[in-house]
Amino acid sequence: MWTYEKRLQFPVNIKTPCPKTAQLIISQFGGPDGELAASMRYLSQRYSMPCKEIGGLLTDIGTEELAHLEIICAMIFQLTKNLTPEQAKTAGFDAYYIDHTTALWPQASGGVPFNACEFQSKGDAITDLHEDLAAEQKARTTYENLLRVIDNPEVKEPLRFLREREVVHYQRFGEALEHVKAQLDSKNFYYFNPEFDKQFLKK
Amino acid sequence: MDKRGQMLQKINEISFTVNDLTLYLDTHPTDENALTAFSQAANERKNLLEAYAKEFEPLTMNCVCPDSNNQTGSHTSYPGKKHFTWVDGPIPWDNQGGVL
Repeated sequence: MWTYEKRLQFPVNIKTPCPKTAQLIISQFGGPDGELAASMRYLSQRYSMPCKEIGGLLTDIGTEELAHLEIICAMIFQLTKNLTPEQAKTAGFDAYYIDHTTALWPQASGGVPFNACEFQSKGDAITDLHEDLAAEQKARTTYENLLRVIDNPEVKEPLRFLREREVVHYQRFGEALEHVKAQLDSKNFYYFNPEFDKQFLKK
Repeated sequence: MDKRGQMLQKINEISFTVNDLTLYLDTHPTDENALTAFSQAANERKNLLEAYAKEFEPLTMNCVCPDSNNQTGSHTSYPGKKHFTWVDGPIPWDNQGGVL
């Protein structure tokens, strides 16, 4: 079950449209390390996660990622608002405009459409948590790349907030991994799949 | 910043506190300091959401109460008429409150 709150997790108020910037940050909507992939990754992995605390954490972080997706989409929406045909010709944004006008469609900055192959749901708690840790770091790197090339403080502020959240989520997933390991044989954590080979779990 | 903006900012801030404490408590469910902080923040959030819904649009379905919501009549297409107040308020992703 989910419920919606009629507010953004972090306010977005961009007064100066810039389709070029929209074309860059769209990667954090539908790109390889974007918020859509993040949310789908965690919300898919949680069902088979053997520890219920970690299933709960995946639910809560996966839900927060949906709020992040909304922030990114709000930024793209405001950056392309009241676009003139001349502005639509902006290098990089022009091809997107032809297919989607100024609607939101999940794709990477380079035009590659969103694809479930951008994340994995492996059914192995150790494997999945390592994937989650890597995903948070990859998203942090992407936000840092964006922050280096974008000057507008109205765009940078929400991006900084989102980058900080990647750091916090990384910490929480690190704790989750330790929690799983505490229930395994400390002589070899990585020897088997704790979700499947249950005979190796600590009694 | 107008009153709506000020109240919304407070709600955003306290909701962030609740959200961040939620993730912390997911992995530290017996941390007493965090539990106290969570209870305080969650209670404050509930009060702020209710106060906001009285003056403006309800932000959550739990705050929808057509008889008492949006007493300032802000951002509504149905001023003075009993209506479903969930439809009131600006669009969250639009800093200009919507086009039409």
